[in-house]
Amino acid sequence: MIENDAIAEFALEYAQSNGKKCEYVEVRSEINSTDTVAFINGKLHIGNLPIELTSDAFARKSGLNIRIIADGGMGMASTNQLTKKVIMESIDRAYKIAKRSGKHRREPIGMSDEKVYEEVWQSEYKVNPMDVSLEEKIKFLQGFVDIFKQKYPIEYIHIFVLLSEQRDTYFINSEGSRIKSHVPRVAFIPVIIGIKGGGQNEQSMTNYATTSGWDDLISWNLEEKVRYTVNKLSEIVLKAKKPPEGEIDIILGPDVAGIIAHENCGHPSEADRILGREGAQAGESYLREHEIGYKIGNDCVNVFDDPTIKGSYGFYLFDDEGVKARRRELIKGGIFNEMLQNRESASIFHTQSNAAARAVSYDREPLIRMANTYFAPGDYSFEEMVEDVKFGILMNSFTEWNIDDKRLQSKYVGQEAYLIKNGEVTDSLVLKPALEISSPGLFRSIDAQGRLENLKWQGAFCGKSEPGQGCPVWTGGSHVRLRNVRLG
Amino acid sequence: MNEMEEKSYQIMDLIKKKVEKFCTDWSIKAVLNNENQIRFSESQIDINKNWNEIKIILFLSLRRRTLDITINDLRPEAIEKALQNCEKLLKIAKININYKRMPEGPFNYKPLNIYDTNVVNLDEKAVDLVVEAIEAALNEGASRVAGSFFHGSTQVIQSNSLGLKGSYKKTDLNFRIRAFAEDMYATGEAISCSTHLDHGFNVIDTGKEAGVICKQAVGGKKGKPGLYNIIIYPKVSTELQAPTPSIALNKYTQKMGLAWLVGKNEGDKIANNIISVWDNGTIDYGLASSPYDDELVPTKKSLLIDSGKIYQFFTNTSFSKKTQESTGNAGITVPKPTNTVFSTGDYTLRELMEISEKPTLLITSTWYTRYQSYAPPGALSSLPKDGMFLVKNNGNTLDPVRELRINSDHFHMLEHTIALGKELKQVSTWLGTNPVFAPYMLIEDIKMTTGTK
Repeated sequence: MIENDAIAEFALEYAQSNGKKCEYVEVRSEINSTDTVAFINGKLHIGNLPIELTSDAFARKSGLNIRIIADGGMGMASTNQLTKKVIMESIDRAYKIAKRSGKHRREPIGMSDEKVYEEVWQSEYKVNPMDVSLEEKIKFLQGFVDIFKQKYPIEYIHIFVLLSEQRDTYFINSEGSRIKSHVPRVAFIPVIIGIKGGGQNEQSMTNYATTSGWDDLISWNLEEKVRYTVNKLSEIVLKAKKPPEGEIDIILGPDVAGIIAHENCGHPSEADRILGREGAQAGESYLREHEIGYKIGNDCVNVFDDPTIKGSYGFYLFDDEGVKARRRELIKGGIFNEMLQNRESASIFHTQSNAAARAVSYDREPLIRMANTYFAPGDYSFEEMVEDVKFGILMNSFTEWNIDDKRLQSKYVGQEAYLIKNGEVTDSLVLKPALEISSPGLFRSIDAQGRLENLKWQGAFCGKSEPGQGCPVWTGGSHVRLRNVRLG
Repeated sequence: MNEMEEKSYQIMDLIKKKVEKFCTDWSIKAVLNNENQIRFSESQIDINKNWNEIKIILFLSLRRRTLDITINDLRPEAIEKALQNCEKLLKIAKININYKRMPEGPFNYKPLNIYDTNVVNLDEKAVDLVVEAIEAALNEGASRVAGSFFHGSTQVIQSNSLGLKGSYKKTDLNFRIRAFAEDMYATGEAISCSTHLDHGFNVIDTGKEAGVICKQAVGGKKGKPGLYNIIIYPKVSTELQAPTPSIALNKYTQKMGLAWLVGKNEGDKIANNIISVWDNGTIDYGLASSPYDDELVPTKKSLLIDSGKIYQFFTNTSFSKKTQESTGNAGITVPKPTNTVFSTGDYTLRELMEISEKPTLLITSTWYTRYQSYAPPGALSSLPKDGMFLVKNNGNTLDPVRELRINSDHFHMLEHTIALGKELKQVSTWLGTNPVFAPYMLIEDIKMTTGTK
């Protein structure tokens, strides 16, 4: 990394020399490594994946990303040819295209004023997953493949992916920030499809992910969790019955609460969507029509995003614009309380960045992203939530989901879901209950959030923008109760 | 030879010398990329980007133990370390039963129209094109526009352990614009893509199209759930119709049971008779066209669906039957699609609206297509994103509607496609798998749902 640091310093210096008048320059040098081992229906697969979980699943990357603001326009150059000649050419081009683009802007692009840092940070771990031998990784995965040696009443397709990564960055800018980071990550992703003839099937994809090292991942008793899923899929395929009609109450399990926190609150709170900058890519936001302070849900609704949670898949202490990370309280007491901001959006809103700028590698621009988004713990135990429900369902997990590009109309199809009758969760499985609901409709239906002891996290790759960036995040929550909703 | 090429050959040579020592089969592919993107929103340019990169893609095999790796850390010690790791991994890996061999050749490669020096020299004129398209959309009634313009060139240099070698250059243009009316839920999107500036590429018409759709979408009301006929724009096929030929008709996907055609074979009926589909890696101006695939086998035009029946699955050498040739779709371990090309019909868009006998929705774009399961029948839902219209009076009236969601599966949609437009349009979106040449399509009896609260 030291030689890359030197070339980054050279790039920063060159961008401000030879009469170039830049309002802002930043240089991010990165080394990214990714190793992926997978078993697909019991067959070992090493290398780039045939399924769309992540691109360059087995890769070694190193390069520079340079962003320049000149004459109010922004230019970006990215290269992995780390010779002075190529870097000078790249910077000259970025400067030229920044100036040319600035001519067509009504308002110049700016950056919010932020504190300058010189820091070194990393995630805390004992065993770097990149240092674990292939033999050990194969042995780890083989345990899951062996679950299918026994007979089941239905057929299964099963894919087990183990994705290990390491990201080392050196960020410097024209304001004097110098920040180094080191974060290894590991994710275990089981994809299991239970199939019975005649089109009856049920698909589960989970993501167990951490930045606390290999030792953390293997301490999670994952074989038991996967075995539970395998048996549950069989039960669902064979026994689940049509969902009830009419208005009911729904208790969402932590996995479903997590995806809702991410999709219905986290994405629409991204300031670039609100400003329209993602209008042709990831979309805009229903919150564009509202101000901070808009009452979006009931008083009990609190949704936060926090990059600083130790071990989390979305962990970071400084973002990719050099801003110190902190918790963001997106919905607080049912009120739209805070957006996710980077320096560009913060300058437009005349506020400070809350460190939401993230890039997945040197060849991508930093964008406003979530980190770990969750329904903050409330006052209810699970038992208290259930005992108040006369008729409803408990939706523990989900399968298909989608949401429109304004993040207004969403759909979550339940997977492991049970009928609740007279304050008790029954054994009756409900087949594919579809919650099709608007974001305000959803947040205004919530009357209870579960306590801290039931808070659970799930890893995910959050997709955004073009070219796409699959950003590592956690989604989470405890149980959440919705009153008087109708299934689709 | 320019400096970038020279450097690539040096790196390839260095890698070749190393991998020859521990691999029985190998392939080295260098991708030299000079790509640009202009992103714009609120009718002004947000960022102008340039990527100048050399990417090395390796396939390595030691007695059928295989590994593929992407290297763009070009520091000699990093390459050395990566290759040492590969050697170690190959020695302890298990045999990949899906890999048999690479083809021996020699092969002849046909020249294709996929490289335009005008694209290479576009430079700052790209900004002017963006500005012209923005104005065109605004002139049609948009109040603001957003979009993205990719333009650039790629050179691919390749060699393998059987002595096959090749090199080709291509260019790419992909322009997408989304227009917004004052009413932020009234939007229109249009796309133009090609390899050449003067073939099938027109940013002004694209801007106009987006502007017209967004203006027509103003005042849209929440649609009523129920069964509808839908007429889809070519762009929509990248998500709704193309996944069957581009994902499920992949021999690898089929063998591993990873898609909805599991249990289906050549000759089985999966679509209406009017549907024929090709994988065509040789089509001029196709974004995924190239003279050869990753095995250096010449690309082809391969019939995949013949009048509604599966004709063949696309494949590479290892997945080909003994009596069958590769369709020129390597991926060495996993085949990959090139350009998916649908058959055409006899109808204009207007005529499709006239012949549809049931309540009909005109759907101009979709978004966020998600599957309940990849297993048969591939049940999915998808959200119409931009202008969606209830067709009335044989298309004389288009009432904008909103908040409806498509709920269907790939078999149903292919079997219920009852009429096709007479012209193909090349479309490539970040939500689709690969470039698609598709006409307008009329599909019967699609269930549309909406939010309940």
